[in-house]
Amino acid sequence: MIKNLSILLFICLIILQFFGPSLPEVSNINPNDLIDNNPEIPEDIKTTLQVSCYDCHSNETKYPWYSSIAPVSFLVVRDINHARDELNFSNWEDMSKLDKASALDDISDVIIDNEMPMAIYTAMHRGTSLSNNQKESLVLWAEEFSDHMFD
Amino acid sequence: MRNPLIIMIITFFPIIFLSFTHKNKTIQTSKAADVNYIIPNDIQEIINNSCYGCHNNDSKSIKSKMKLNFDKLSTMKIGKRVGKLNKIHDVIEENEMPPKKFLKKYPDKSLSDEDGEKLASWAINMASQYINE
Repeated sequence: MIKNLSILLFICLIILQFFGPSLPEVSNINPNDLIDNNPEIPEDIKTTLQVSCYDCHSNETKYPWYSSIAPVSFLVVRDINHARDELNFSNWEDMSKLDKASALDDISDVIIDNEMPMAIYTAMHRGTSLSNNQKESLVLWAEEFSDHMFD
Repeated sequence: MRNPLIIMIITFFPIIFLSFTHKNKTIQTSKAADVNYIIPNDIQEIINNSCYGCHNNDSKSIKSKMKLNFDKLSTMKIGKRVGKLNKIHDVIEENEMPPKKFLKKYPDKSLSDEDGEKLASWAINMASQYINE
């Protein structure tokens, strides 16, 4: 009985594999990228953003091998699409100043609130969770960077 | 023995009272310092009715308070304030606020289309004035 069930489950997963949505596109050349266009951003902030945020919030996603395997692929596709929709650093210079200010304020909020990076992401990607120091400097940077736009 | 206590209270009360009024005064001056940030009476009324209940200093909802606190908006740094104001505009336009769940419980807190429009355009106008290009 159990054997039959597991075979059925396996077949279902194989079928699911063919119906899975395709992974969001990756592009490493993004003329409107935040980091590329703002060389004044401190090195440690650049690194934090690239290591802990850019996988979902930019077009430069680095997919792990298992991300195209159903049912994981469904989660990955959903989360990355949602993340890029909320904030895509690759399109930064395309945004209005007002939207940039709101995005920077969102960054502070989600970092202070420990909403981001998502727990499931940091559990699967070693070295992506933020230390208290990193959180503090990211929040300070976001506030300064925002203020600087309205000098 | 009772008299010294009463005298002490009488002497200290004005001091305590004065220290409070003094505090209020400094808050007011810092508000007045930013002449650009104005909440007209009709907007203040809309905010009081539909937003302020959760988005204030003493709010029980820490999350609502963190995302937006009207008591702090006037003293915030410009960048942060612009971000918040722009978000007020966005969530009103998208009908995300006040939350539907909340309105089920308190239908009188709902925003009319007209008031929503007023609040959203006030917020975006306040935010836009800081852009100097």
